[in-house]
Amino acid sequence: MSLRISILAAFTAAVVSSGAFAAVTVGSAAPDFSLPDANGKTQTLSQYKGKTVVLEWNNPGCPFVQKHYSSGNIPKQQADATKEGVVWLTINSGASGKQGHLDNAGAQAFVAQYHAAPSAYLFDGDGKVGHLYGAKTTPHMYIVDAGGTLRYMGGIDSIASTDKDDLAQATQYVPQALAELKAGKPVSVATSEPYGCGVKYGP
Amino acid sequence: MRIFAAAFASLLTVSVAHAAAADEHLEVELVGARDALLSGQTAWLGLRLKHAPQWHTYWINPGDSGLPTKLVWALPTGYTAGDIAWPAPKRFDLGELTNFGYDGEALLPVPISVPADAAVGTRAHLAVEAKWLVCHEECIPGKATLTLDLPVAQTAADTPYRQLFADARAAQPQSAPWSAQARLAGDRIEIAVRGTNLPAALHDVFAVQTRVVANAPPHIETRNGELVLTFAKSDYFTAMAKPLDLVLLDRNARSWLLHADSAEPSTPSTTH
Repeated sequence: MSLRISILAAFTAAVVSSGAFAAVTVGSAAPDFSLPDANGKTQTLSQYKGKTVVLEWNNPGCPFVQKHYSSGNIPKQQADATKEGVVWLTINSGASGKQGHLDNAGAQAFVAQYHAAPSAYLFDGDGKVGHLYGAKTTPHMYIVDAGGTLRYMGGIDSIASTDKDDLAQATQYVPQALAELKAGKPVSVATSEPYGCGVKYGP
Repeated sequence: MRIFAAAFASLLTVSVAHAAAADEHLEVELVGARDALLSGQTAWLGLRLKHAPQWHTYWINPGDSGLPTKLVWALPTGYTAGDIAWPAPKRFDLGELTNFGYDGEALLPVPISVPADAAVGTRAHLAVEAKWLVCHEECIPGKATLTLDLPVAQTAADTPYRQLFADARAAQPQSAPWSAQARLAGDRIEIAVRGTNLPAALHDVFAVQTRVVANAPPHIETRNGELVLTFAKSDYFTAMAKPLDLVLLDRNARSWLLHADSAEPSTPSTTH
């Protein structure tokens, strides 16, 4: 009888384990990665040790992303952050043939179109880095501090919508966390639920 | 540059002052169950959603992505609109994400209370701004202002949408006659349901509140005469909802709304 119970318990645990997404956790080391950028260069997370790094998952075809680009919200956050010495890496994990998948010229045109100011636009077409970080949606945001520790993961802001009118009322989590990190304060919202389109991973 | 044309096209929204609106993935229409309003009574109106094959819109808890359909009413003085009476949702598994919502033809019914002093013989102009996100693999936001003019009368007859309202009512979760207790067990949340005539052919369970349980289906088992629902805890869990509202759906499409109490702290342990 006790054997049956333990088998059942093991089965239950297997069924409800949280699935395909690797879990990076706030407060732990952010895993290193190496990805090509839109200028044909290779970018690694570790090359920016000593600097704060923002990771932004992007799909230019996603209406949630478009809300934050066409309103200027993300381009302004990028410009403000990089002016302060923060590195901002925009990452596209869209697989070839899926919505928002870009080539080098397409990514450069996207950045120019919205006057965006990321430090680099990276391609992760096989989704490895997206899965490593558990990126679920576009946008999905992460902040890695100068020591390589993950300090924020979650949504771009506090109001899940595709409506630009909601921006004025929303708390923008990335600038808030960056300001707190700069001031040596604890990050007040260190995780939040991301909202947006599902990342268009390949099969 | 082609990609940008596509991107902008997907931002297009329909906005018309009419009973119906459509884009290529979704038709929306404001419809009434009856053809007239009765003073002092509740009239049922609804947003009829007709989805293109494989496209869906969302429940009050949309799941891992998506947005619930929202309605903002503009009604004559004295009229009030209740909340959407959400039918039990369907589960959509999209690769690694889970969504909850509706496909095919669906109706989101809303009770409108007609004031007691609404004069017979007058007409009421009922308007709603509907906002939705319709998705297949890709998502397209839409909005429309929809209106319906109905007479205030002494009698009202069924409209051709009567069956749609009856179906939506049948899909409405009934108040569950059982008690339930939710508890945190490590990275899981276990809900024990007690009572008589517990559902024998339970098919799925959906949480109304977000950020409590993960969106993957629960493990369902009967243990010592109790029904035990075991969910993974949401990655974004901060505190137990009190009560946690669950929609239980059986294989015969019967559904119940169950309130699970809990002894867990109701305030988050960390600032959030």
